[in-house]
Formats: sequence, structure tokens, C-alpha cells
Amino acid sequence: MPPQLIKVRPTKTELIKLKRRLSLATRVQKIVRDKLSILSMEFVETARESVEARRRLLDQFSQAYKALSIAAGYHGYIALEKELVATEVGSKIAAGSRNIAGVRTPSFELTGAERVIRGYSLVDTSSCVDRAAQLAERCLESIAELAELQRSLELLGMEIARTKRISNALEYVMIPGLQATMKYLYMKFEERDREEKTRLKRIKVLLQQA
Amino acid sequence: MHDMLPYDRMLQEYLRDELRVLNAHLPRHQKSLADLLREEYPHVACNNGSTHLFKRKELEYLASLIGADEQEALLLPMLIELGQNQGEAAVICGEEVVEEVISKVLDMPIRCKQKRITIYKPQLALLRRKLKTTTQYVFSPRVRE
Repeated sequence: MPPQLIKVRPTKTELIKLKRRLSLATRVQKIVRDKLSILSMEFVETARESVEARRRLLDQFSQAYKALSIAAGYHGYIALEKELVATEVGSKIAAGSRNIAGVRTPSFELTGAERVIRGYSLVDTSSCVDRAAQLAERCLESIAELAELQRSLELLGMEIARTKRISNALEYVMIPGLQATMKYLYMKFEERDREEKTRLKRIKVLLQQA
Repeated sequence: MHDMLPYDRMLQEYLRDELRVLNAHLPRHQKSLADLLREEYPHVACNNGSTHLFKRKELEYLASLIGADEQEALLLPMLIELGQNQGEAAVICGEEVVEEVISKVLDMPIRCKQKRITIYKPQLALLRRKLKTTTQYVFSPRVRE
């Protein structure tokens, strides 16, 4: 697609204005490129971490369920349920945000997930229950971490798409448009000079004839 | 030919908004590592009114790298300046302890020039991986052609 010319009066003042606009557009383009490069780097890092966190969470879930089945097998389901029913305690999660190159991403941190006293009777239960509880608490931490990474990944992806559109608009529409208009103005000025020269020559000839 | 005004306005507003949004997250005041470790929820207030939360694990990692006196001197979040060159960034280094921390985190000798530590993209990625919440980007609008 040929660059679109901007509607301006062919004057030197307009040319100066266009030059300023081009300089501004170049600055914006530089900033947008920097931002895009940083966002891409952060996106790749977050994606890598997200994959690792997911794998870790699956491993932890598998270990936790294994430990829970061992505990259930040792104590029996009814006895285990009786012990665990009164031990439910809410976990605290510190939720905030952090900003990556203009993108506000969530930040979660589970506090006090690993407890020393869990509420069930230490006399009536074995170390199998302790192990299962410990592994389940680790799962909670990983879930919070994965939630943060997944949401950050989505937000970064959306921002990359938006920034890319702006970068392309600048690179392929605005800057070429400004450059083409400046070129058009230069051509106009040259044409005007030529017309002026021809006019002067014609006047000279007329004066000589008179 | 199309009308120039909307384009012109869009450009002006974009630059203004972009710089405002990009640097809106900068902290009003930096806090020392020792102070942050004492807080229950370590955070700093940002220019846009939001709060930036630090991860305790990261703070503890930083504390393990330096001594107690240096913890008082290390101001967080550390600022990484972008926009001078596409392939590099600069960590703003107000105190000597920043140089020590960055050197230990990247596991390489580092020199501070004019209060800036120049690092390259792979090092920047490594630094951000280890210090996610204790570092922040600053976009500089200067253009050096």
C-alpha cells in the first residue's frame, strides 16, 4: 500500500511542523520498540517459569495423593476423616501487584502455609498424616505461584499484541506518511521555484520586446 | 490525502500516555532492605497510587548476599534504565552495595560508571529471573541516533 499523504498547505512552516512530527514519531517508535523487546523477554521468562511451576505442581499433587492414600490405608478412611474434619484453617495470601513495563500483573504470596501444629491429635495419628499434610501445604504454595504466573502470562500476551499493533502502525503507516508528505512538499517547492524562474524569463523576454 | 489533525493528536497523546503509563509504577520513595524485612507485608507506594509488593523470599535472598550494615544502605526496588541502546540496559547505582549485589547475583565482576552499571540482554534476563519484585524498569525517552 502506498503511503498516504497528509493534507497540508505547501508552505515552509508546514514543512517545519512535519519535521517536528517525524522526530516525535521516531521517538515514540523507539520507546515502543524498547517496550516490545522487554515485554517479549518477560513473556518468554514467564512462560518458561509457568511450565516449570505446572510440572512441579503436578509432581507435588501426585506425591500428596500418594501420601494421603498411605495415611488412609494405615488409619482407615473413617478414622482419618474424623481426625481431619476439625482441622480446617484458612490460609493467608498476600495479594498485591507489580508493574512490568506498564503492565500491571498480580503478585501472590502464601503466608503461614507450613504449620507446626495442624490441629489433629498427635497421639491418634501417625507420621503418614503429617507427611500428607505437609505435602498438601506445599501444593497450596505452588497453586498460588502458578495462578500468578498464568495471569501474568495472559496480561503480557495481550499487551504484546497491543504494542505490536501500535509499532506496526507507526512503522508502516504514520512514519511513511510523514516522509511521503515531506517529499511531496519538497517537490512542490521545487516546482514553485521552476515556475518562478520561467515567469522571470518570460518577463525578461517581454521587457526586451517592449 | 487525509486530515493531519487526528494523527498529530494521536501521536502527541500516545507519547504522553505511553511515558506516563510506562513510568507510572516508579516508587515514590525507595526503602532500605532492612526496613522492608521488618515489615509484615513489605511494599512501597508508587507514583500512580498503587503499591508494589515485594516477595519475602527475594528479600531474604538479598539479605543472604550482604551484611547487616549494607542491608541498611541497599535501597529497593533497584531501578533498571532502558532506552539508551536496544541491546543493553543500565542499573542505576546510587550506593556501592548495589554494585556488590548485582555482581553476586550475576556471578561476574561489574564496574559502575557514572552511577550506572551497564548490563546486556542475557544478563538482564538472569537478573530479572532472580530479582523479579526487587527490580523495576525505568524507560528513558532520550533518543541517541
